[in-house]
Amino acid sequence: MNTIFPLGLPSATAFYLVLYLATYVMHMVFMHYVLAGSTYLAVGRLMGRERCASCGWQTILVDWLPFATGLAITAGVAPLLFVQMLYGREFATANLLLSHRWMAILPVLIVCFYLLYLQKSSWIARRAWAWRPVVAAVACAGFLFIAWSWTENHLLMLDRQAWPGLYEAGALWYESPGVVPRLAIWFFLAFPSLAIELAWQGRLLGVPLDAPAAPDARVAGLSPVRRLALTACAGLTGTTFAAIAYWPTISVAAQAVVMGALAGPWLALLVGAVAVQAAVWIVTAIRDRLTLPLLIAATCAWLIGLVSVAVVREAIRLAAVDLATAAESHTAAVHIGGLPVFLIFAVLNAAAIVWCIRTVRTAIR
Amino acid sequence: MSSLEYYPIIDVSPLMKGLVIGGLGIFHVFLAQFAIGGGMLLCYLQWLHMRGECRLARRFADDYFKVLVLVSFVLGAVTGVAMWFTSIQISPRTIATMVREFHWVWATEWTFFCLEVVAGYLFYRYGPRLADPARLHLLLLYSVASWMSLFWINGILSWQLTPGTWLESRNVWDGFFNPGFLPSLIFRTISSASIAALAACALVNLVPGFTRSERHSLVAICARPLVFMLAMPLVGGWYIATMPADSRVWATGGNVPMTLFLTMAVGSSTLIGLYAVVAILRQRLYVNGATASLLLALAFVATAGGEFVREGVRKPFTIREYLYSNSIPRDGIAALRERGSATDDPYPLRNAADYPNAQLVLGAKVFRTQCSVCHTLEGMNAVVDLAGTWSIDQRRLNIAQLQRTKPFMPPFAGTPEEVEGVVQLIGWLRAGRPAAWDESHDPVVLEQIRRWLDEAGTGPGDATLARAGPSP
Repeated sequence: MNTIFPLGLPSATAFYLVLYLATYVMHMVFMHYVLAGSTYLAVGRLMGRERCASCGWQTILVDWLPFATGLAITAGVAPLLFVQMLYGREFATANLLLSHRWMAILPVLIVCFYLLYLQKSSWIARRAWAWRPVVAAVACAGFLFIAWSWTENHLLMLDRQAWPGLYEAGALWYESPGVVPRLAIWFFLAFPSLAIELAWQGRLLGVPLDAPAAPDARVAGLSPVRRLALTACAGLTGTTFAAIAYWPTISVAAQAVVMGALAGPWLALLVGAVAVQAAVWIVTAIRDRLTLPLLIAATCAWLIGLVSVAVVREAIRLAAVDLATAAESHTAAVHIGGLPVFLIFAVLNAAAIVWCIRTVRTAIR
Repeated sequence: MSSLEYYPIIDVSPLMKGLVIGGLGIFHVFLAQFAIGGGMLLCYLQWLHMRGECRLARRFADDYFKVLVLVSFVLGAVTGVAMWFTSIQISPRTIATMVREFHWVWATEWTFFCLEVVAGYLFYRYGPRLADPARLHLLLLYSVASWMSLFWINGILSWQLTPGTWLESRNVWDGFFNPGFLPSLIFRTISSASIAALAACALVNLVPGFTRSERHSLVAICARPLVFMLAMPLVGGWYIATMPADSRVWATGGNVPMTLFLTMAVGSSTLIGLYAVVAILRQRLYVNGATASLLLALAFVATAGGEFVREGVRKPFTIREYLYSNSIPRDGIAALRERGSATDDPYPLRNAADYPNAQLVLGAKVFRTQCSVCHTLEGMNAVVDLAGTWSIDQRRLNIAQLQRTKPFMPPFAGTPEEVEGVVQLIGWLRAGRPAAWDESHDPVVLEQIRRWLDEAGTGPGDATLARAGPSP
């Protein structure tokens, strides 16, 4: 733990960690869209029919949220696999301790998924407007419940001392001072992601981002670009305050790891990425236009930020687990065959996915 | 220290844990096979349309795909994740072993999931606007990806029953391409095609805008994959032939519930096959929505029966000859006979105060570790119902020599004191949980139990298996 992540860690552990983080970041990209998008929609729907009709972002979200949810679930399978390779015992134990409560995320996810489809259905279009805020709010509440359950599960994984007592009590809730601020970090962090993703979607769909907005595209006096800037800045501010609140709840050992050689440089990178994103969105809000160079700069900072925050998150976990014992099983696992097959099919299927997208784009044009 | 890794054990009583994962598994398998067969059927429909052999095929394919997305992409995907989480809830040591041994296979399967979702969703969203060749290519990719997900998971699931030479080599590909792999893969492919065909027949009647004659012609086309069911007896027989001998005995008369479930699966499949081949394909009868739904329900029953048998015949193992059904490793029994299965368990009982003495607490902890995956105390498949009427010595002997009592039970993995703890626990439950209960520590009794344990050995009860394994 005296060298920057992932160097200095046992090689097999580092290998699985890198794979885990790479796939986890991919999952985050879609998961943020779903979490922040469903919240954006739930809040937006409260503004009434006319304002919603003016908000192109809400239209895009209604259209794309089901697909994004499918992608988030699919992308989540790989980190779910690698987290079991890395921290199988801790992960399974937290699952078992929270038991039925934890498993409740699955029916909730199914309901939320169908509600997203319902939001774009002709059935709801024929109903009174009041249905839409209700459906959006229930979907949003469901995704928040899932986010909260994951946060609780994650923190419980790290709190080995609490396991026997929690089991004996039969408690279905794990109470920890870290749950709320940590959940807040991940919740607010989703909004800068949503802003970037919507900006790119807008560009691809022909929404004018670097030109003055049409009057009918304004909601509460804000242009589409300013609404994105507001969304991103609110998310970045919320993340910062939540991180400050979370810091005292983590152990001294974890704080040392985060500030030390392992994760310190990544934390610095994260702070820099947040600052760049904030600067881009403030400039965008002032100028009321989002140019392509600025969007690219924000996107790069965003991606660096996602990777950095994932590493910092992992450093906190590494400080809590018995790395020596885990490293032995990782070393044994890495010698089990199958990696070349995975790599070959990963490349082939990635190429096939690109081909599908290109084919459809060409055909649609 | 014990060789066993301990996890908190959940209680789903009055249900059996096996029913929970079995029920979910059947539901998921049915949906997944619908998605796999659906992809193949859609490719066929699109191909027919492009050859000018069915002018309705393109339109129906779009309608079918909407249902596929709403059912399979949501329920199928989430129940797939649910299977993983439920496996952790029911048997964390089993799923940990599977993940460790096959993580690259699972990772490979995931790359196909990604392709399946992207190709499928692009077709769902843009299919109606695409030219025929592009549609066919997307459908082919979707279909191949979904079938490949079956290919990968089938290797892992069939390995659990027939690990083959993996037991010696520990090579992932020896385990993956195990004796049951190919018949199981072909059988599931046929099942997938059949389920998708029946679902299509039902859907033809639900989609508005088709005339009666159009529906008739679509049913005749969509039912064609059902002809593959003719191969099911052959492939099913091949699969059963690859089963270990004792497993085959369970399914073919040795165990009444398993035989009944196999009969249910075979009977339902036969009814579907006969109706499809004789009535739909040969007589060209029209199948209305109700009949198609009934056939689909029969297909669900067949799937349920087949999956129950597949899960059941693994007993007394969850991974054949490697991990017992209570997820205690075969080579770990001897150590636990000395150390005890509850000695190192860090998790206290939730309701320890309800038991009148420490021996019953020990018995309850042993039950939790060794028995609770298949039994409850007083709910479904309850130990008190199964062993409550036995005399106390009968209980001691039968539990100490569990694998001889019932060969699909694993050997008892604990000390004589733990056997006695379970014996007393059953007696106490049978007596209606009285407030006071005497402990039993007679050295003569414990010595007798020790002799019985030694006599039975630490291997499984079936003589063939006992000879093959490493245990005495």
